Amino acid sequence: MRLFGIETEYGITRDDLEVVDPVVESMELVRAHLTGAFEKTWDYSGEDPHEDARGFRVSGLQQDQEEEEFAKVDAHRPFSFHEMKSDLVLPNGARFYNDHTHPEYSTPECRTLRDLVTYDRAGERTLHQAAQRRNRTLGGPHVQLYKNNTDFHGHSYGCHDNYLVPRSIPFTAMVAGLVPFLVSRQLIAGAGKVGIETQEGGFRAGHYQLSQRADFMETELSVDTMHNRPILNTRDEPHADRAKYRRLHLIIGDANMCEYATALKVGTTRIVLDLIERGAAPQCELENPVAAVKELSRDTDLKAVVRRKGGGTVSGLELQETYVLAADKALAGSDAETDWVLREWARTLNLLSSDRSQLVGQLDWVTKLWLLETFAREERIGWDDPWLASLDLEYHNIDPDRGLFFGLESEGKVFRLTTDADIQRAMTVGPCDTRGGIRGLCVRRFREQIQSIQWERVKFTGGILPKTLDMSDLFEPAEVQELAAVLENASSPIDALRAWGQRKEQWR
Amino acid sequence: MNSITGFDRKERPFDPMPKPTSPSEEGGGPKRPETGSPDKDNLLKRMRKVDPKQAERYRQRTGQ
Repeated sequence: MRLFGIETEYGITRDDLEVVDPVVESMELVRAHLTGAFEKTWDYSGEDPHEDARGFRVSGLQQDQEEEEFAKVDAHRPFSFHEMKSDLVLPNGARFYNDHTHPEYSTPECRTLRDLVTYDRAGERTLHQAAQRRNRTLGGPHVQLYKNNTDFHGHSYGCHDNYLVPRSIPFTAMVAGLVPFLVSRQLIAGAGKVGIETQEGGFRAGHYQLSQRADFMETELSVDTMHNRPILNTRDEPHADRAKYRRLHLIIGDANMCEYATALKVGTTRIVLDLIERGAAPQCELENPVAAVKELSRDTDLKAVVRRKGGGTVSGLELQETYVLAADKALAGSDAETDWVLREWARTLNLLSSDRSQLVGQLDWVTKLWLLETFAREERIGWDDPWLASLDLEYHNIDPDRGLFFGLESEGKVFRLTTDADIQRAMTVGPCDTRGGIRGLCVRRFREQIQSIQWERVKFTGGILPKTLDMSDLFEPAEVQELAAVLENASSPIDALRAWGQRKEQWR
Repeated sequence: MNSITGFDRKERPFDPMPKPTSPSEEGGGPKRPETGSPDKDNLLKRMRKVDPKQAERYRQRTGQ
């Protein structure tokens, strides 16, 4: 089973106001995408962040009190809950909405890394287009968007990677197999950050570290996402048939600008999940994983070692090498994409220890460090100069005319896995082999008849009673394509559902 | 590609992700950038335009 997706919360600023209301700005940004009126169609019934994968339900989250305070303020606004969230489903099957005062884009579900990277980049362009429209209304380039994870004052927002996994894998096995890998994944997937922060506790200049999120990891396992953030999030919200599947929801990752880093981040994690499923994951339990995340992040020489449970120490590179060796032994030759990941993973680790300059344009933390070192040398400034944090921020600006990453990309110094034509197409059509493509097709073909929509279901009007397209177990590509054909050829969604029901009866 | 909906019903053949590198490059994989430093005329100009105080003013609410 191979299915993954990325959700990204963007930072948003407006430079023409003394006091910015982030709720309004995020809402207006999402609404700027629309060409018609906003319609309340997102169905929130599948969302319950209190269910814990360890087999219980928590009575409250750390963020609940803060959320209640915000809710009191929001109650005085002239908008409903639905209006504030402004949830949209895009023609490519992605979700675009205001999540906790950040515009968020969630890719449609993807089966291949190439698709995932393409739909992630389609999100950048979708948000940039929305910002352009918003700025035309405002009369100047006042709104800027950042694909990063920190405000350099102790406030973080996430980029979560998600994986569909069989529920038959014991959660304890996932924890044992994943935690040491995730602690060290930042060596290949860190976005790089100037300074050190604590949760809502300020900023210390004078440093550069691998990861934007490492400072915000506070515990090994937790269902929380806004406070007490965990290395491995235990939220049990499968958005699929609960009896068969889990959705692994990882919140430790950084938002990547480099396509290569995004592909390696998700590709290596998917491979580690395959290892866990086969019982072939390395066993290398760490004494203090939370401290290890921070220690490894703060050592750009990659010499830091962390303590193993039971004695001995290990470096981040050694941890990653342990995983790539186990993966090569168990999975080499499985398929072309697995072989690509195995090859590039090993090559990257080798270059990190020998000549990391070759990874400029491929790994974000290496690329950003290279830019900042060059600039600091030219301008004769030190690491404590506030200009460097500003350049760090601007690396992530998604305006192609301003962002530093996009400046590098326009000079051909960034490795691409996609083409501009791929990205353009991915803004309008979903993946052809996942239910994400079906969701997008429903939006394009039958928008007027959609009563409600979410990850698992689309409910249509048009009959005596609303009819539901259930996609909670729609993961086989052949079945997806069969359903797509039915939807394309039907004159109405009700006809399509009738035909689809008959097809399924024939298969039984 | 279906002309009405745009939904591509044919599964695309697997297109291996990386462009192959020349055999002389160690391990294959992506090529390194061709220059050793950012383009002085363009990228450094873009970097110098960034307000040094921008990050100090940048404030967001905690997200997930």
